Amino acid sequence: MPAQPKIVVAQADRPHFHEVATLLRGDVERISGWSAYIDIRRFTLQVCVIIAGAGCYGAAMGWWRDPKQALFTAIKFPLIILLTTIGNGLINGMLAPLLGLNIPFRQSFAAILMSFTVSAAILGAFSPIIAFFVWTTPSISSTSSTGPIYNLMLSAHVLVIALAGTTGNARLFQLLLKLSTGRQVAGQVLVAWLAGNLFLGSQLSWILRPFVGSPNLPVEFLRANAFHGNFYEAVWFAITHILH
Amino acid sequence: MNEQTPTLTVMQTPPTVPPTVPPTAPPTLTEPRPLGDDPNERVAIPNTFVAIEAILRHPRRLLFQMRQPGAGRLVAAMIFASLFCSLIYGVVVGTFSGGTQLWAAPVKIAMGLMISAGICLPSLYIFACLSGSQARLIEVCGLLAGLLLLMTILLIGFAPVAWIFSESTESPLWMGFLHLTFWFVATIFGLRFMKAGFMHANARSKAGVNGWTIIFLLVALQMTTALRPILGKSDTFFPKEKQFFLAHWGDCFKPLFEDGKTAARE
Repeated sequence: MPAQPKIVVAQADRPHFHEVATLLRGDVERISGWSAYIDIRRFTLQVCVIIAGAGCYGAAMGWWRDPKQALFTAIKFPLIILLTTIGNGLINGMLAPLLGLNIPFRQSFAAILMSFTVSAAILGAFSPIIAFFVWTTPSISSTSSTGPIYNLMLSAHVLVIALAGTTGNARLFQLLLKLSTGRQVAGQVLVAWLAGNLFLGSQLSWILRPFVGSPNLPVEFLRANAFHGNFYEAVWFAITHILH
Repeated sequence: MNEQTPTLTVMQTPPTVPPTVPPTAPPTLTEPRPLGDDPNERVAIPNTFVAIEAILRHPRRLLFQMRQPGAGRLVAAMIFASLFCSLIYGVVVGTFSGGTQLWAAPVKIAMGLMISAGICLPSLYIFACLSGSQARLIEVCGLLAGLLLLMTILLIGFAPVAWIFSESTESPLWMGFLHLTFWFVATIFGLRFMKAGFMHANARSKAGVNGWTIIFLLVALQMTTALRPILGKSDTFFPKEKQFFLAHWGDCFKPLFEDGKTAARE
């Protein structure tokens, strides 16, 4: 009966909302135990944190443009995280053993989901602050795209998202260190996962644009040309446009 | 030479029993003394007045009591006391303009302080967790309430000075600067209390709380602009135009610089 100890652990260590705090603290001893198996309630809790945290932040972000945009971005922000996790789940699970970290697919999936949970919790905690600044500063329609308010809001979003992403990955790295044999293996796996997630995440963000929205364009869930072209083509065109 | 001989003899004598080294490591500077090791810290805080005295004289007693069962009542009492103190200070602020500002300024200050704290509470909890702190949400609420309480008590202490200036000065710019200075000094002491609390909750670093401090200051400063005018008079309770606090400060300072330029030309 090799599966019995896993059930015992699952029953003794029931998922609770306090687990989010444990994830944030980076208590790798406990977290590595959680990643060893898929507990449906823990999985649901983490998905709920992602939906609530990233959703609230998305709402605060979109509200600057329009309340309808707030609703759209609140749906799209967690959707990108969840679709990236699912879309890259298989390749991430394959890359880990190839790079020297012999963990099963479910463990790699759980580890990535936990790192996104940390990021989403941070985003959610910042959403009231962003919402407050959106409420008390001039709206995007009355702000020039080169003005200080526009740049301030943009910088605030970049800072918060960078903090959330960096912290999520720092916690993931700590977990990988615990699970792997050495620092080099953990680093390689993290870089590989990051590259894959960034690659897919960028394209998903491109498809699901706009998040804030231009004041000159109508508020809509997806742009009419959402599935025409891709993020990397757009970057390439932008670079060639600058060079010419 | 004769006097040196006995000294050498004593030094060359080997010790009969080797000295025993205690197995425990010496306490480091980063590890604070555990809460509750002094019996005075274990004495319960029965009411708000004792809480105010404790935060000024025995902050460790307050920190210890915040970790005990039923700390919610203490936290609620601290929030109530800080609300009351901010209302009193608000009245003093309102005396500068008088009229409707006598009730509008206290309401705005109390409201602004509580909303700022509420907005920043989730990020404080997140930063506390990221720092490795074991503080529960109620403890984090307690530390934030302690920050507010100490800040507002100190503002009450500054209130007579502020009132004297508000009766003798006519410049809102000068009064605004004075109130902001008082608030800043009071906040420094409040933050010091809060940081001490986090150190007792096994926080690995102060970076998280330091980062949160910047956010709290930014939110509070923006709140002063969002609820303006707090000092001057206005027809409406809330401002008609939305502004970022730096832009608002720029507008406030503009006449001062223009006057300076005119005086220089003359």
